[in-house]
Amino acid sequence: MASPVSVYNSNALDTHISSSSRESLKMELLADVSLLPGEERIIDKETIYICPFSGAVKGKVLITNYRLYFKSLDPDLTLDVPLGAIGRVEKMGGASSRGENSYGLDITCKDMRNLRFALKQEGHSRRDIFELIFKYAFPLSHGLPLFAYVTQEKYGESGWDIYKPIEEFRRQGLPNNKWRITFINKNYELCDTYPTVLAVPFKSKEEDLRRVAAFRSRGRIPVLSWIHRENQAVIARCSQPLVGMSGKRNKDDERYLDVIREANDTSKLTIFDARPSVNAVANKATGGGYEGDEYQNAELVFLDIQNIHVMRESLKKLKDIVYPNVEDSHWLSSLESTHWLEHVKLVLSGAIQVADKVSSGQSVVVHCSDGWDRTAQLTSLAMLMLDSHYRTLRGFQVLIEKEWISFGHKFASRIGHGDKNHADQDRSPIFVQFIDCVWQMTKQFPTAFEFNERLLLTILDHLYSCCFGTFLYNCESARDQHEVRLKTVSLWSLVNSKMEMYLNPFYTPESGRVLYPVASMRHLELWVTYYIRWNPRIRQQQQSPVEQRYKELLALRDEYLKKLEELQLSDSSPSSRLANTPNSSSSTSSTPPQQYTQLQTPL
Amino acid sequence: MEFSEHIKTANVEDVVLRQPLHPPGRGTLCITGHHLLFSDREEGSCRQVLLLLRNIDAIEKSVENLLTCSGLFSNAGLSQRLSGSSGTITIKCKDLRVLQLDIPGMEECLNIARSIETLSCLDSMSELYPFFYRPSSASLRDQWGLSSLERHYSQMKELHDRWRLSTVNRDFSVCPSYPQAVIVPKSTDDDMLEKVAKFRQGGRFPVLCYYHKKNGMVIMRSSQPLTGANRKHCREDEQLLQAVIDGSDKGYIIDTRSSQQALQARMTGGGLESKSCYSSWKRLQRQMERGKALQESLIKLVEACGEESNNMDRWLSKLENSKWLSHVQTALSTAGLLAECVERDGHSVLVHGSEGTDSTLLISTLAQLIMDPSCRTLEGFLTLLEREWVQAGHPFQQRCAHSAHSHARLQQESPVFLLLLDCVWQLWRQFPLALGFSEALLLRLATEAYASDYGTFLGNNQQERCALGVKENTHCLFQALLRPRERDCYSNPLYEHTELAIWPSVYPQSLQLWRGFFLRWTPQTHHLEEAQEEIRNMVIEWGKLALSSCPASTRRSEDVQNM
Repeated sequence: MASPVSVYNSNALDTHISSSSRESLKMELLADVSLLPGEERIIDKETIYICPFSGAVKGKVLITNYRLYFKSLDPDLTLDVPLGAIGRVEKMGGASSRGENSYGLDITCKDMRNLRFALKQEGHSRRDIFELIFKYAFPLSHGLPLFAYVTQEKYGESGWDIYKPIEEFRRQGLPNNKWRITFINKNYELCDTYPTVLAVPFKSKEEDLRRVAAFRSRGRIPVLSWIHRENQAVIARCSQPLVGMSGKRNKDDERYLDVIREANDTSKLTIFDARPSVNAVANKATGGGYEGDEYQNAELVFLDIQNIHVMRESLKKLKDIVYPNVEDSHWLSSLESTHWLEHVKLVLSGAIQVADKVSSGQSVVVHCSDGWDRTAQLTSLAMLMLDSHYRTLRGFQVLIEKEWISFGHKFASRIGHGDKNHADQDRSPIFVQFIDCVWQMTKQFPTAFEFNERLLLTILDHLYSCCFGTFLYNCESARDQHEVRLKTVSLWSLVNSKMEMYLNPFYTPESGRVLYPVASMRHLELWVTYYIRWNPRIRQQQQSPVEQRYKELLALRDEYLKKLEELQLSDSSPSSRLANTPNSSSSTSSTPPQQYTQLQTPL
Repeated sequence: MEFSEHIKTANVEDVVLRQPLHPPGRGTLCITGHHLLFSDREEGSCRQVLLLLRNIDAIEKSVENLLTCSGLFSNAGLSQRLSGSSGTITIKCKDLRVLQLDIPGMEECLNIARSIETLSCLDSMSELYPFFYRPSSASLRDQWGLSSLERHYSQMKELHDRWRLSTVNRDFSVCPSYPQAVIVPKSTDDDMLEKVAKFRQGGRFPVLCYYHKKNGMVIMRSSQPLTGANRKHCREDEQLLQAVIDGSDKGYIIDTRSSQQALQARMTGGGLESKSCYSSWKRLQRQMERGKALQESLIKLVEACGEESNNMDRWLSKLENSKWLSHVQTALSTAGLLAECVERDGHSVLVHGSEGTDSTLLISTLAQLIMDPSCRTLEGFLTLLEREWVQAGHPFQQRCAHSAHSHARLQQESPVFLLLLDCVWQLWRQFPLALGFSEALLLRLATEAYASDYGTFLGNNQQERCALGVKENTHCLFQALLRPRERDCYSNPLYEHTELAIWPSVYPQSLQLWRGFFLRWTPQTHHLEEAQEEIRNMVIEWGKLALSSCPASTRRSEDVQNM
């Protein structure tokens, strides 16, 4: 180095450009790609990757039916992108374009990055690769199956068994004398976007449910999501009532909500409408609306959360300031102008209000317009605050399966799996925003969650990858129709086969604790390790030692728990050396278990 | 002076204290020469709040005088109404806590307020609490301080070839703000040093502050050269610096001012090292904010943090406008540059700004943390602070006289030391395993620098401390922090020694507001502190097990592929 660089660059070593021996032959560039079962090579090609951080890089690209893989030796750089993460492929430049590397492909990804490849200008060299990427990145638009149907990875346990609705209701103490389980929707006749098993008020008969369904958008009637074990207050979810311009009323719907209220003798039922009130009013024009004064014993609270379009634009703005170049000069005010954290704040504070009402003993009903976006965010976050079971690794999987997947968050429409239509107005990062909220909670409560950040990153990666069936399709009926459970593997199969990777060494279960995160801008952070993770300077060089240390700590913790167990066993056994001195035995053996009970984890 | 002169009302009953994180309490308020004591004896619970008056940055008082609006009433009711009057004192502390006292009786309230105003900023240092603090657990005969330049030198055998310990400043006459002993090139004798001292502001001639064992390069620090408008130069100064890079092709001078500032300094007698006189030295100008600008930045930040409404509009803009984080960034990146010169580029560096007592110390300290594993332990870090801040003459008394709340006219106040602690916290956050101390230590230091039971941060330099007899008459904070119980609480159980340099990321996205300090008195930060504490205890507990039994088999799970 001649003289120190003018701008001090701490991450001079780009972690994904590590030094490696150049001795391996260029021929073998793509030799070490390990393919998944069912994955097939489609095409490979000499190409130039235009890396936004280290410039044009010569190498080879491989397209399979699952991934785009790029490898170069100098510098040593690897890109491994599931085709499912690709949102849009475009041709860049034309045959006559001038300038270096002006001819090639421009790929927009759904996960906060773009990829550019330059190809030789002669002989339509990009035509075949463009068409093949286009075909395999958007299989549904080409009559091909999603990759999840092609791969047959085997795992020890099936993730499809993680969530069994009846068992989950039983865990919550249901059915009981106020709430019953109904199979009225077993053929998706009541509501085609709901699951088959529903919990409804004991008093409401099947025909009541049908009449209520007629008055709720898409038949999404209020059903129980969660019940508080002690005070029996519930979180019920639904869609907006079909009030319309004329202000229609439906006695059955009014009565039904009152039955929900009566179930635990709540004096007032709180209806949380996730939308800003103006939007709720505007929805009347299209037949929707909100609960008016005719709902006696109910109060309506608007939570001011914006719709899917606003969220999509907000995240787009965020991408603009972090990729490829991070806006440095006015970072904080630029971040503020995306409003992303403000939206996160509103979602979190809505969920806090829901959780607070329920833990104070009042039942709540949550809805937005259709009840599958903001509603899912609010109910699932409130449940995460209220019920420590959902903060375990397996419990969190149940929460996602239940509140998001089974209740018909439209993953297919919001993500656009295998669909070439990138400009679809249905796309929106609602689930990403939910995971962001969870991340904010894990930051505020570092010992309350059994899982770690890696789990959240893995979930978001496979939200797009199409490698697992978990996030495919919009609702259960569509999943049944496409035999997802039979023909694809669940993401949880992967996660639960490598659980130790996703565990937080500092987890301390506290079963009764309600977590109230602070939804103040002052305590929210941008999730830099997700949104800016493609930028080499954000990757922390120390990340790997930290992870290694955490693994050691996990091992140490397990050892510790084992020792403790042995200690307790030997204390209670008659052969204990203190057994013949009862006084001292009782005093010594009673202290340690008490002291350490909080460390016993149900692993 | 008798403190009692300033205490007209020493005790008030039935006072209501409101403080963050606690429910309000009713009890007795008591003012002493150095403390505000509140004891709350409600329902059997006895809570005491003992606040060092020195910790109080500003107070606001408001009295409700019912008399003024009741002039028409007869005198008979006067005494009754007097007792009905009351007042409220809002106390804003240097540790950013805000307390409120509701005091019955207007006169009492005004008396208390007056006492606080006077006693919280006593001018005479010998009246400060450290001279009265006599804990039963320690004796004044205990060792004071952790190390000395003499000891430092004698331990660093590798220095002895080319460097010597000079006591030219033994009576503080050459440089009033330097310690009695300093390390200089062997070839520079004391006569030369005296001449060099005359050429450097405040007599702060270049001295060694760090020796990089890996390659023998050093960090020197000084104040600006007094070249003045007619570009004086000093042969001895040039020789001294030449001796520093003896055998090497060049050295760097990191000047913490912009080129323009450095050139302008000539008009007031200061200046910079010219290329012609220091041909082997390459100057790098890196402007760092100092003095008033830094203090104002802190005030803006604390103001933004203190805003009540939870529905904070434009918080991020306010945070940005305070510029505090950009000062953190500049400090870390300049320190990074310094470390890069020494560690990566393999050259010695001289650091100075103008006085050489603020930003100079800031970046030399941070650079040492980045490069030198031995100052990343609890003990090593405290020793570093002692050497680079206390002994090197950072004027704590002037810089920390007031903090962000004070209404007093700013004089020499500047939160340079706080900025250092913030930068260290950023390092700590980015390298959770590399530093042997905890966030709690940084918080404790941030409090102690402004108001303390201990004598460590008293005065502006060693000379003042000697004159006051600080060593003989007060207790040492650094010693106290290393007692077994404190050591437990201030060490980092996740710490793992690494020989590697820890290069911080200085991009705005990598820097965070130090919530632990700036939002310290909010419930959320408090919860987080508790959770951190829980993690500490867990890890310590596991660690004990690992020591007591055969070493736990470190199971290595298969390497993880990131997709």
